[in-house]
Amino acid sequence: MSPDMALMDAVLGTLLPGEGAWPSAGDLGLAAEVGAELGEDGAALLAALPAGFASLDADAREEALRAIEAARPAAFERLVAAAYTAYYVDARVRRVVEQETGYEDRPPQPLGYELEPFDEALLERQRARQPFWRRP
Amino acid sequence: MTAALRATVAIVGAGASGAAVAWRLARAGIDVLCLEQGGWLDQARSPSRGHGWERALQTRFHPDPNIRRAKEDYPVAAEDTPIQPAAFNGVGGGTLRWGAHFPRLRPSDFRVRSLDGVADDWPVSYDELERWYDLNDEMTGVAGLAGDPGNPPRLAPRDPPLPLGEGGRRLASGFDALGWHWWPSDAAILTRPRPGRAPCNNCGPCGVGCVRGARASNDNTYWPAAIAAGARLVTGARVTRLATAEAGRRIGAIEFVDATGERRRVESEFVVLAANGMGTPRLLLASADAHHPRGLANGSGLVGRRLMHHPTAIVTGVFDARLDGHKGPFACALYSQEFYETDAARGCVRGVQLQMLRGSGPVATALGGYMRRIGWGRGHHREFARQFARTATLTVTAEDLPEEANRVTLDPVRVDAAGVPAPRLSYRLGVNSRRLLDFGIARASEALRAAGAVDVVVNPLSRQAGFHFLGTARMGEDPSSSVVGPDGRCHEVANLAIADGSVFVTSGAVNPTPTIQALALRMADAIAARLGREG
Ligand SMILES: Cc1cc2nc3c(=O)[nH]c(=O)nc-3n(C[C@H](O)[C@H](O)[C@H](O)COP(=O)(O)OP(=O)(O)OC[C@H]3O[C@@H](n4cnc5c(N)ncnc54)[C@H](O)[C@@H]3O)c2cc1C
Ligand code: SF4
Repeated sequence: MSPDMALMDAVLGTLLPGEGAWPSAGDLGLAAEVGAELGEDGAALLAALPAGFASLDADAREEALRAIEAARPAAFERLVAAAYTAYYVDARVRRVVEQETGYEDRPPQPLGYELEPFDEALLERQRARQPFWRRP
Repeated sequence: MTAALRATVAIVGAGASGAAVAWRLARAGIDVLCLEQGGWLDQARSPSRGHGWERALQTRFHPDPNIRRAKEDYPVAAEDTPIQPAAFNGVGGGTLRWGAHFPRLRPSDFRVRSLDGVADDWPVSYDELERWYDLNDEMTGVAGLAGDPGNPPRLAPRDPPLPLGEGGRRLASGFDALGWHWWPSDAAILTRPRPGRAPCNNCGPCGVGCVRGARASNDNTYWPAAIAAGARLVTGARVTRLATAEAGRRIGAIEFVDATGERRRVESEFVVLAANGMGTPRLLLASADAHHPRGLANGSGLVGRRLMHHPTAIVTGVFDARLDGHKGPFACALYSQEFYETDAARGCVRGVQLQMLRGSGPVATALGGYMRRIGWGRGHHREFARQFARTATLTVTAEDLPEEANRVTLDPVRVDAAGVPAPRLSYRLGVNSRRLLDFGIARASEALRAAGAVDVVVNPLSRQAGFHFLGTARMGEDPSSSVVGPDGRCHEVANLAIADGSVFVTSGAVNPTPTIQALALRMADAIAARLGREG
């Protein structure tokens, strides 16, 4: 793994650390994808990290990233967007999403979800109302 | 140069309005040709078949052409507006990307000057338009329910309404508890089969295309019928200019660049612009010539002016139970028009619609689609679990009043791939619109609390909500204060008509496409009558 990839993994693991069933984004091999998405912004963000970032403790890593976020908000926002996207479309994370929230670990199609009939009884009160649209 | 194409009527743009006009004219036996800069979208291969659908929403299905930058898009100069453009180019236009919420304007929307003393009345009434609304419903395939006390009586929709889902049921009970109106949405979505189209299976992300053809998108409604009736559609054809003839009184030819990059022309008896409320004024302005130095048909100076959007606020409730808002068409469930009409006590005129949006997928939730981006770092996963699948949203859609300073012009620098200047949007949110939004935010928050939300998050003005471009070539009787007449024909250019939302006089507070299409059908019938054919 190139040093940049290792550093990007450390950044990803700080943005989305492992917790309970949730894997750390730094352990999923997403660095190359996120790096490619960011292009030069990614290299510039990594270059702005303090020396030895990967070996700092969690508090210090978070603090370092908050400083970069304050200094370069637009580029940092792109980093966060790329990281979240890569993380939440990953099959391993989708499995945890299902386990933790019940959201099915499958694409919307072709199965879809049940199209239950509309329950007209819900409209009882609305149906009792007189027309209230304004006649010109 | 290759020989000019010929047709009786040539249409620019194959979106919602162009498709309706093409069908109506072809069906009347008129030789129609439509030029569309985009192509066909293969919805059977929609990203909704894979986990990557949420990535697709941010890339090739992103609503903003400046972010998407597909080959069929054109750049939009949007630095001078808080509301970024949302549009989609291809056979079906914006309806390839839309939410398919399908309400009509109300009768009062056509009479705002008489009723409220603001803006202008339309030269057409709801009653006159009704039969084209009905025809459009029939062609589109609409799910919904007759009997809404907030709107005039009308024919029963073809299909029963979409299910509300748990979020919708809770919101409905919230509205009921407050004694406020709600009604299941009219949706341009099938809940029963129709030849060639399967009913909705509640999958959710209509914005990346519907593999079942349940969601109407004009490539699956009007276009197949138009082509069967003989209409010709040229895709990959980017119109660059309308060239006048007879000392500027008529359009002589449409100039375009075809899919191979060749510059070509269409000659026709009649021209219909259907490039939407941004693309149409852009073409009129870009076609300025010695007879029309300020832009075609622009003697009134109003081409591009009076741009109206529907400024939108987003109010989301977080509940302490699963609502599973990912199930069901994201934009169609229910709406409230309790606050649709003017009430002087609010300190502003006109009103708002509250429209429910269901939930978002995991990526959009994390990125804060309807809310705020979830923070990174420790605590992220906890917050994700608190929000995900536990939200329901109300958008506040405000009626935007026409203001001449809000406008589409041509950018002096940027051009599209064919060298046509990019449109430039200059827009400020009016005081009345801001008041309406604030009023609507307060009501939406109350409704969500009444529905049981434990937390309510407000986005006071959605940045990516420039999906309705209205009013930029308004309709009217008087050539000094309008661009087109009541039948959609330009006052100054006898064989040119406009079919899209540019012609709106005011915006109402509902999604505009049913009205755009009803007007387009009515205009097509007027053209057919002029050409001596019955509509
Ligand atoms: C994300 C999103 C959600 C929406 N949701 C809803 C909703 O729920 N309900 C609703 O009522 N409306 C909705 N809309 C709006 C709806 O899509 C539009 O109102 C409708 O498509 C407008 O129809 P139109 O014919 O005026 O233009 P469009 O459908 O935009 O079609 C214009 C066509 O003209 C073509 N064109 C433009 N310029 C040129 C040129 N120079 N040469 C050749 N071709 C050209 C374009 O490529 C395009 O295909 C939504 C839109 C978006 C983007
Ligand atoms: S929710 Fe229904 S209409 Fe929307 S894409 Fe899925 S099947 Fe099609």
